[in-house]
Amino acid sequence: MRDFRSEVIAAGGEGIAACYQCGTCSGGCPTVSAMDYTPRQIIRMVNLGMRDRVLSSRTIWLCASCYQCQVRCPREVKITEVMAALKSIAMKEGHNSGIARPRAASFYRSFNEIVSNIGRQFEPLLLMKTALGSREGIFTKLRYLLRNAPFGIALMKKGKLPLKPEKIAGRDEVKRIFENVARMEAGE
Amino acid sequence: MSYTYYPGCSLEATAKEYDMSFRSVFNALGVDFQELEDWSCCGASAAHATSKLLSVALPARDLAKAEATGRDVVAPCPACYQNLKHTREFVLESEHNREVLKKALEGTGIQVEGRVKVKHVLDVLLNDVGVDAIGEKVSRPLEGLRVVPYYGCYIVRPPGKETFDDVENPTSMDRIIQALGATVLPFTRKTRCCGAPVMMSQEEEMHRLSYEILREAREAGAQAIVVACPMCHFSLDAKQPEIEAHMGERLGIPVLYITQLVGLALGLDPYAELGMDKNMVPPEDIIRKYSAKAAKAKA
Repeated sequence: MRDFRSEVIAAGGEGIAACYQCGTCSGGCPTVSAMDYTPRQIIRMVNLGMRDRVLSSRTIWLCASCYQCQVRCPREVKITEVMAALKSIAMKEGHNSGIARPRAASFYRSFNEIVSNIGRQFEPLLLMKTALGSREGIFTKLRYLLRNAPFGIALMKKGKLPLKPEKIAGRDEVKRIFENVARMEAGE
Repeated sequence: MSYTYYPGCSLEATAKEYDMSFRSVFNALGVDFQELEDWSCCGASAAHATSKLLSVALPARDLAKAEATGRDVVAPCPACYQNLKHTREFVLESEHNREVLKKALEGTGIQVEGRVKVKHVLDVLLNDVGVDAIGEKVSRPLEGLRVVPYYGCYIVRPPGKETFDDVENPTSMDRIIQALGATVLPFTRKTRCCGAPVMMSQEEEMHRLSYEILREAREAGAQAIVVACPMCHFSLDAKQPEIEAHMGERLGIPVLYITQLVGLALGLDPYAELGMDKNMVPPEDIIRKYSAKAAKAKA
């Protein structure tokens, strides 16, 4: 079995071994105050092979992929790509990480499902699927949907929420791309 | 100048007014464009978080379709712009990359070579159309209007191999706004994330980040925030009432798309052509003062 660092690099997290722990990433991170480990710590933990703690951290789901850290890193560590790689590994393995994860992973999963079926995103369905597909209790899910209902109606009144999704003609091609990628990654 | 227009999913729904104002302004400026036929989703942040390969395989379909048109792509959404641009760079980078992508596209008949460029709407307005040409078409100068330009993340980050603006202090939108006669106020949060990507999973974080942007805009004395991203707009405009409730503070700052602002200065109809009745925070004060249509109605 290959070590955690190589696994993260293979999933897209390039340059991670070059980190010299200066903390520029954490200094510029917009969501660092809500994280359980700073980006600098996460990089160190990946390099030390602390697999479970990294994959069950809140940090990876709080990363907004804003690329602030990555463009400032003096060692050219692809930090945002490291975070994306960690999200993808955690999602595949179903790691559970307290408050942050349930709806975050559900959001990505729902997004992909809709695109794979109709070829485009359909925002009203995305909100519903994300809420219902999370690992929260049924009451939490319903409360979230109810709380967002007036907002949805307001958007609809402005003509900003179409009622029917636009199915594209080439949706079989899009589905095929999803299947090919899944097969290629499983075979890796 | 002739482009293939890639609207992206948001511009069909929550960012309808960005699509409307984009089309109206490009027509008014005499820039030829045609919507990409049967385009599909670029994968946005979900593909990126799911798999590195998926994040280049999904945009590859659109890029291939655009190549068939032979025209460069213009994308108003910075996430679409980044994904398509990155995919092109990925294709051009190595034979190995092209082989991997070929496998991911197997059975679809799609072939992509990276022949056409991918541009953001700010790049096209500033560098292809040019501020002089825009300035010449201004019929309603926005004199006295004070705004802050908010760029967000994906317009400049990551810069990739080719980019059109500074990664720490972008000024492309500033220059377009100035060509319209409006005043650009200094703004330190030009590229600070609005939190949109964590909106559904961690609302409080998104509220906090967007609030900081709104508050600085208000303290600067801005009459509006100008954006060029559907997600930034959603956070700052559509979610503004929610942020106000959460922070217990009234803000009421209109958030306009750059294309709406350009359209206003070109004398276009604020509602029928620029969709300004679709903004959640009503920009009525600005419309009353600067719209040719509104002035006529008053007379």
